[in-house]
Amino acid sequence: MPPRAEVLQGTLDLLVLKTLDTMGPMHGFGIAQRIQQVSEDVLRLNQGTLYPALLRLEQRGWISSRWGISENNRSAKFYSLTRTGRRQLRDEAAGWNQMAAVINRVLKASS
Amino acid sequence: MMESVRTLVVRFLGLFRRRRLEGELDAELRSHLEMAVERNLAQGMDREQACRQALRDFGGLEQTRQIYRERLGLPFLDTLLQDLRFALRMLRKSPGFTSVALLTLALGIGANTAIFSAINAVLLRPLPFPNAHRLVFVWATDGQRGIKEDVSSYPNFEDWKAQSKTLDRLAAFTTRSATLSNGEEAELVPAVQGTPGIFELLGVSPELGRTFRQDEGEPGSSHVLILSDAFWKQRFAGRTDVIGQTLRVNEEAYTIVGVMPSGFRISRERPEQVYAPLVRDPDRGHGFLMVLGRLRPGVSIREAQTEMSTIARRIEEAYPNGNRGVGVNIVPLVDAMAGDAKTGMMIFLGVVSLVLLIACTNVANLMLARGASRMKEIAVRAALGAERQRILRQLLTETTVLALAGGAAGLLASHWISRALVESLKQFDVPRLADTHTDTAVLVFTFAVSLFTGIFFGAVFGFSVGSPRLAEALHQSGHQATGGARGRRLRSGLVVAETAMALVLLASAGVLLKSILVMRRTAPGFHTENRLAIEFWLLPKRFSSDSRRIQFFRLALARAEAVHGVQTAALIADLPLGGGLDSLSFHIAGKLDPAPGKPFQSLFNVASSGYFATMGVPIHAGREFSEHDSADTTPVVIINEAARRRFWPDEIPLGKQISLDANLLTVVGVVGDTRQTSLGVAPRPEIFLNYMQSSPKWSWLVMVARTEGDPAAISAALKSAAQRVDPNVPVTRILPLDDVLALSLAQPQLWAALLAVFASLALVLAAVGLYGVVAYLVAQRTHEMGIRMALGANRSDVFSLVVRQGLGLTLGGTLVGMPCALGAARLLVHLVPSVRAGDPATLTGVSALLLSIAFAASYIPARRATRVDPIVALRYE
Repeated sequence: MPPRAEVLQGTLDLLVLKTLDTMGPMHGFGIAQRIQQVSEDVLRLNQGTLYPALLRLEQRGWISSRWGISENNRSAKFYSLTRTGRRQLRDEAAGWNQMAAVINRVLKASS
Repeated sequence: MMESVRTLVVRFLGLFRRRRLEGELDAELRSHLEMAVERNLAQGMDREQACRQALRDFGGLEQTRQIYRERLGLPFLDTLLQDLRFALRMLRKSPGFTSVALLTLALGIGANTAIFSAINAVLLRPLPFPNAHRLVFVWATDGQRGIKEDVSSYPNFEDWKAQSKTLDRLAAFTTRSATLSNGEEAELVPAVQGTPGIFELLGVSPELGRTFRQDEGEPGSSHVLILSDAFWKQRFAGRTDVIGQTLRVNEEAYTIVGVMPSGFRISRERPEQVYAPLVRDPDRGHGFLMVLGRLRPGVSIREAQTEMSTIARRIEEAYPNGNRGVGVNIVPLVDAMAGDAKTGMMIFLGVVSLVLLIACTNVANLMLARGASRMKEIAVRAALGAERQRILRQLLTETTVLALAGGAAGLLASHWISRALVESLKQFDVPRLADTHTDTAVLVFTFAVSLFTGIFFGAVFGFSVGSPRLAEALHQSGHQATGGARGRRLRSGLVVAETAMALVLLASAGVLLKSILVMRRTAPGFHTENRLAIEFWLLPKRFSSDSRRIQFFRLALARAEAVHGVQTAALIADLPLGGGLDSLSFHIAGKLDPAPGKPFQSLFNVASSGYFATMGVPIHAGREFSEHDSADTTPVVIINEAARRRFWPDEIPLGKQISLDANLLTVVGVVGDTRQTSLGVAPRPEIFLNYMQSSPKWSWLVMVARTEGDPAAISAALKSAAQRVDPNVPVTRILPLDDVLALSLAQPQLWAALLAVFASLALVLAAVGLYGVVAYLVAQRTHEMGIRMALGANRSDVFSLVVRQGLGLTLGGTLVGMPCALGAARLLVHLVPSVRAGDPATLTGVSALLLSIAFAASYIPARRATRVDPIVALRYE
């Protein structure tokens, strides 16, 4: 099993946006579960940090929230991507890919 | 950018929805944890394990909440709101302190706002002319007599106008009284004679018709007249067909060519009713003009002053006889319009600033006393980790909230204060004072003053309690935390400063009141009861022939004496206290002039027979004018006692002769002195000519009548009798001499009353401040008093200990305040010329008053100190 990595500073937003994009409206616990699942438990997400992040994204207008009922009948707050959020995701994903590609290139070149 | 603004707004709103949002977070976290536990259970953990695992996965629950909460609002605003809430809570908690502080501040700030609104209306708000800031008043100066605001002659004005390049335009005017007559009765109205172009210089177009044409300023041109809006509405009911009509002004027909818009005013004394063109006067020695100018764009007053001084020197060289020592003094028009009022207002701005400073000191003192009792609270907060900066900010918020609330109350108070002020100054006709109202400038001023006040005692407060020595403060039980020696010194210093300022105001009010008392006790030199003065305006043209004039005088006196209730009547050119006399040069037969080419100088007046008897002025030697003195008999004069003392110190000069304008006049009587300008100014030498023997240059004439009963009762009958003498001679004023005397005291009395009001306010504030400090010190030293008494000190020892402290502080304040008071009193000469600055009796009296108030203020706490029960006091240990 590879060592678990901390979520990189600033990447949590991207992860949350992407999760909401693929999965549709989700509650906080679901988002945390999903991120951990997809990363195959490599990422060690401190779940508590998720909530300030969600608030931040909502304050920026990228996601919106509504109270609803979860699959097992529990009242929970559901977050969904807004249109600006979707655009933001596209921009940030592109930026990330570009950055990753550059870093990859640099690493390959020096090895 | 948009996004960050949005974030800011959302976060700002979050501040107010915080409780709900925080509740929501809790619900959300609970649901999260429940789901996590559920999942863990589903994965086969037991309940306890499932819970522990869920919390571990989550990380710090409280930490999350903290970060979330910070993210909810704006940290800066957040703490501010927190501070505000705290401040309001603290203020609410001690309503006594809060209301005393608010009242004190409201009075201090209110007085300042009121004076400032008056200054704003009179001096700061631009005059109602376009580009009014470029308008200036061009005074002539007289270097020989040291006059800085003198009128100028027509030729000088023309030279200035032709040569100046810094002044765009120049125009001159003079204020006159115009006699309007319709054949039945005559009326005197204030008028302005201006050079054509004066309206254009000011940039105001007529409401109706036209202004003066250039050629209408030439001698011999047709007579045209422009009306003021008020006169037009009152006389012609605002009819537009007024243009082209004629009015008889000074017995000549004038054609009305225009009407000025409402609010237009040139004269600073009385609002003028009509305007006539000023006709060129070639005499360079005849100064009678006031000159207005407009600065060219970009030219400063200083530059214009420099240029005009050069021009004035050039004119002086060209005409050394008429223009010796004549310079130029350029002042902004707005200052010139305000005139003497400016000095008065500035002095009062200083006065109310002192009152505000005292108020601030007082509140600062109250705060310090409270601050010391809050020392423990502050120490606890510091111990719990509050930063020093944070505590200071909290204190500053508290004082600023208090000051701003005080400012708001002060704004309300100022409304009434300025109304009272405007009302009481109404009789002095200060231009634009009536426009006093609260505008943006006043609001900004009040806000700035309040803010300054808040920061001022916030700083004082913070200085004394902001950095408590923790251990020390926590050690002591709450009420004993003294704030240390530094706090005590600061408080004492504040009381000394407060007392000093109060002394300055009290001493100023004192010397002013003293000078008024002196004036009131001063005998004017004549009787005022049962005497009436009636003022006429004689047209020089109508009365240029001696016989016609004398005929008018005789008839007027006869008609007046025929009125039922009139005992005697007489004529005088200038009433005592009128201040309108000219000083003339004369020679004394058989005496050398004081210096070659410098003859004797005296005031000259003109009186008719029976004047001194009518006025009740005593005859010291010789006789007064009689019916037999006429143009055909020896020309005679009467001198006053001051003239006798000055010119004939060792003799009674009956039969001596003086020469005035080459006429030989014989002294036939010496009379008692009457005050010429004011009760505060000593009588000067005065020589009376006889109305039947000389032709005065003055146009005004006063008849005084001695009546049997109340003069007001026959005033109407006398006025109509006087008007019937000649329908073309207007009666300008009729009033009892009692009123003349009262009027001469009105202005000094008003200044003194205003100052006394502010000084009393200062005294009360200072007394409250002193009481607060002494009472506080006693409360602090209860323990010490207890020990003293336990060790054998008796009650009177304790009593005097406390009182000594209060009196000591006051004495310190008095010593500091005394030299300042002397300096301040010197300024008061600008308000009331007869003020004597260094009056020892007044200063002693004022200091005694202050000390006795201080004694009273210390008495109550001192009594309390003597009632300290040593057992109780010591139990505090």
